[in-house]
Amino acid sequence: MMTTDTVKNPRFVAESQTDGEQVDTGLGLSPAKAALKRARGHTGLKIGFGIILLMVFLALFAPWLAPHDPYVQNLPMRLLPPAWVDGGEWRYLLGTDHLGRDYLSRIIYGARISLAIGIGAATVGAIIGVTLGLLAGYFGGWLDQAVNFLVTCQLAIPSLLLIMALVFVIGQSITVVIFVIGATHWVFYLVVTRSATLRLREMDFVAAARSMGCSRFQVAVREVLPNLSNQIMVIFTLEVAIAILSEATLSFLGLGIPSPMPSWGLMIAEGKTSMFFQPWLVVLPGLALFMLVIAVNLLGDGVRDVTVTDRRS
Amino acid sequence: MRIIHPRRVGIGLTSLLAAWALSMSVHADARSDSLVVALAMPLTTVDRLYSVQREGLVLAQLTDDGLFHVDPDTLEFVPLAAASYEWVGETRLDVVLRDDVKFHDGSPLTADDVVYTFDWVLDRDSGTSRGPVIRGWLDRVEKIGEHRVSFHLKVPYPMALRDMAVSVPLRKQGTYAHTGIRAVEQQLNGIGPYRVTGFRAGREIELTRFEDYYQASPKANPAIKYMRFRVIPDQGTQQAELLSGGIDLMLDVPPDVADNVRHLPNVERLEGDDIRIGYITLDAAGYSDPNTPFKDVRVRRALNHAINRQAITQYLVRGSAQALDFACHPLQFGCEGTGPVYAYDPGKARALLTEAGYPNGFSFDLWAYRDKVMGEAIVNDLRVVGINANLRYVKLNVFSKVRNDRDMSAFFASYGGGGTADASAITGVHFVANTPRNYSGDEELAATVLAAERTIDPERRLELYRQALDRIADQAYWVPMFSYSQNFLLAPGLDLSVPRDGVPRLWQARWSN
Amino acid sequence: MASYILRRGLLALLVALVVSFGTFALFYFATDPAQTIAGEDAPPEMVEEIRQEYGFDRPVSVQYVAWLGGVFQGDFGESYFWKQPVGELIREHAGVTIILALSSLMVTILIALPLGIGAALKPNSWVDRFALSTAVSAQAIPNFWLGLMVIILLAVMFPIFPVSGDATWRHYVLPALVLGASSVPAVMRLTRTGLLEVLGADYIRTARAKGFMGYQLIFRQALRNALLPVVSVLAVQLGHKLGGSVVTESVFSMNGLGRLAVESIFNSDIPTVQSLILIFVLTFVLLTLAADLINAWLDPRIRMG
Repeated sequence: MMTTDTVKNPRFVAESQTDGEQVDTGLGLSPAKAALKRARGHTGLKIGFGIILLMVFLALFAPWLAPHDPYVQNLPMRLLPPAWVDGGEWRYLLGTDHLGRDYLSRIIYGARISLAIGIGAATVGAIIGVTLGLLAGYFGGWLDQAVNFLVTCQLAIPSLLLIMALVFVIGQSITVVIFVIGATHWVFYLVVTRSATLRLREMDFVAAARSMGCSRFQVAVREVLPNLSNQIMVIFTLEVAIAILSEATLSFLGLGIPSPMPSWGLMIAEGKTSMFFQPWLVVLPGLALFMLVIAVNLLGDGVRDVTVTDRRS
Repeated sequence: MRIIHPRRVGIGLTSLLAAWALSMSVHADARSDSLVVALAMPLTTVDRLYSVQREGLVLAQLTDDGLFHVDPDTLEFVPLAAASYEWVGETRLDVVLRDDVKFHDGSPLTADDVVYTFDWVLDRDSGTSRGPVIRGWLDRVEKIGEHRVSFHLKVPYPMALRDMAVSVPLRKQGTYAHTGIRAVEQQLNGIGPYRVTGFRAGREIELTRFEDYYQASPKANPAIKYMRFRVIPDQGTQQAELLSGGIDLMLDVPPDVADNVRHLPNVERLEGDDIRIGYITLDAAGYSDPNTPFKDVRVRRALNHAINRQAITQYLVRGSAQALDFACHPLQFGCEGTGPVYAYDPGKARALLTEAGYPNGFSFDLWAYRDKVMGEAIVNDLRVVGINANLRYVKLNVFSKVRNDRDMSAFFASYGGGGTADASAITGVHFVANTPRNYSGDEELAATVLAAERTIDPERRLELYRQALDRIADQAYWVPMFSYSQNFLLAPGLDLSVPRDGVPRLWQARWSN
Repeated sequence: MASYILRRGLLALLVALVVSFGTFALFYFATDPAQTIAGEDAPPEMVEEIRQEYGFDRPVSVQYVAWLGGVFQGDFGESYFWKQPVGELIREHAGVTIILALSSLMVTILIALPLGIGAALKPNSWVDRFALSTAVSAQAIPNFWLGLMVIILLAVMFPIFPVSGDATWRHYVLPALVLGASSVPAVMRLTRTGLLEVLGADYIRTARAKGFMGYQLIFRQALRNALLPVVSVLAVQLGHKLGGSVVTESVFSMNGLGRLAVESIFNSDIPTVQSLILIFVLTFVLLTLAADLINAWLDPRIRMG
């Protein structure tokens, strides 16, 4: 009971501008088609989806899109400003960093890292959270108690500090960052899965499936998960955004992605010492980060608005 | 969506400059009596006997005098609170004290105080930070007159004056008995030209000129009456504070920042040498892994050829920094190697790698704990010859754990040695036996270095150091990188001479108008 | 209720112990505090002496039990790095963090409540849209980056506020703004949905339809109910702000607990790290407990049940 109290998150409740219309648009269509139709009318969703598409495109085709190798240094050409500023050069459109590496190329490659971390960590979190939620919700008893204890730990521990301590001691790498962030971001999945499992357990079709000879846990997995996919997808999207920000923060504090990888957070940290003189070093990766995260959030909010229709009932 | 507009950046920068110019004119009013200095590291004590940071050395220049000090011009070790000294044989040093030296509490300095100070340092239980080093060579100190003491050494040790100058400030007899170590930090009773008049651990230190300071000292009559040290760990904050008049002096400014500021009106920049060198140690002994490629001298030489020290020095370290060929700083006595030098030549590096059986290069972890930018540049240079170096950039506590466990295949580090202008400062710690920094496994080299450290005769020392340095270069145990440069940023009107060894003597500071 | 609080307290203690032993062991095996204490240029004999003096050569369990024994007697040990009792150190640094957390909470309330209420009273209006886009943006801005931008803008370009430090109240303006902004989305959304729900509830509708209540009365009544969950979330957010202070204090160079924690991690100052984690954990648990209790006290339904 206490866990659900403390993790109340208003973001998982629909609240969009389309509140009033939802009932009408859904009439007479299959749920999927209705959702699609609502999606077309959702501006935030479209913007978010558009930006993400662009970012994914950048990430996938970085080697062809980036004008330079993001790792190759050219010391005499270091700290050039963006091309349109005095002293800039057009072959380095967004200027160069402290080692003379092309900033545009590093920002393009940076999309790979942010997306990889975001999706990777959210997946790790989803696997942990959903599994624990299923177990706790379906079996209850001491298992539920144990999971509850884990949640309490999770909520009570200052997670940023813990992550920092862990990364500090284990060592920095993409994998470590993904797993550490994932391992500290699974509570929302758990809460949703657990309560849904509790509810569904009582329902007829689960009982029916059980009578047909499925084991209890198979039932839980097969029947509960599909019913939850919408909600989990919404949480997943929002957790992607949170993970991207966490990585950036960690890298900014010097405990995330190791250099020389072009992580946006790390780039901001590296530009910080000269931010009064070469502000683009801090401004540009920050903007990229902001765009990506806002897009993921818009997408998440949009998907929630479009799929979760039964709120007012 | 917000997009950064080109003109915005321009306008921003211009207004930035304007704001600075404005703030500078505001704070350039008469403050001839005080100086505010930013410190990056929190000083946890004002007692040099217990401090370990370099900042402690800067502070001790003001609050403390030792029997000797480092002459800022010649970098030689000359008497300060001592009037004269004389070597009696190789292991006895007689020192005559000045008779006009007073402690901050007004009491005169006597031989008893000197004996007390050194006895305290020699005492294992006192826990002074340099105790172990002093105990390595000093046996006992004896009072032989009201102002005369005699030092008895365990071994001949040419660096005795250095250790006394840098590590042993004089204390009043009974200082620690009366107040306990922590209390001393609050009201330090030294003999330096400034008194500690305020101290908040880790935040702020306030000094006031000591008016009873002995006039014969080269440090006598400093121009500025009050000095304040403010701890501001963040470089960006320090800059902003300098520009808004919160501080007058920044030490250890990163070259990029210093370069930018040079273009601004009303902020001045000083640049000087620093007896600190950067180097890469390679695991020639194979401690980390018996099969490490670095056991092969050809691989080690290949690395020496592969790294463009010249470019890294010129573009990243900058200032008066120099690319190094030997394991010592050019300003140091004994730094006169004649052995092989390795020019930047990626082609030769690749050829050597092929010869050694690594035509496609190899992977290894390059550990580092400071100067990340240079570390990255090294990694990028190695990529060019096909070596894949992972930069393991960690904090000192992790770094030293792994290094001391002998688990590093290579590490990029730096060493200052207290600004000592003598080759012993570097070879001593890095190539004698039983030091965790020594990854060469070369016992003969260790013996040579130790012999040099115990030799008084300068000619003989020079020869021994030449042997050692040549051996290191020939076997390529290191990739010597560069010497450092020190940048200072200061408020206009502040006069400060540039230290040759990287240790600023703030007692020389004065406002020029 | 009493047993609930007791159970909760014990649970928190257990959590704190597990975490603290974990961190202790991690640091023991992976770092060398002696070198940090001695300084980077310190010769090996000096480092070795420090290692013995501080007892780093003892087994991990012995060291841990020694520390824990002290804690139970109210002695958090001595900081390796600052050479000062940790308790004293924490007292010195706590003020900054508490002021920062409270003032940023004020910022959150001052921004989020009006926005949320405005949005709920006029759904789909420009106020609502503005509130929502504020929330979406605030959620997407990395907090540390916002801090840097605010410094560039309001401390350097237009030098209105000091760049950093914690000496006067003016030093707290920018950090409080930045840290406060991070909680705006959550609190704003909750206020909005909560108020919408209450306004749509039957009793309000009926009252309104029958003309029983004036607008003000409705507002007061509805707001009281809508703000119940907000209060508890605010308490939880206060806990988050303690964690968030890690980043904000680093960006603005404030001598608070957050930065103390970061520096202690970097210095392997194990007693300090340990004690701080312990304190963070306990504070957070206390705050959530307080949130639940406030809720129970405010909401008659819970109280009766």
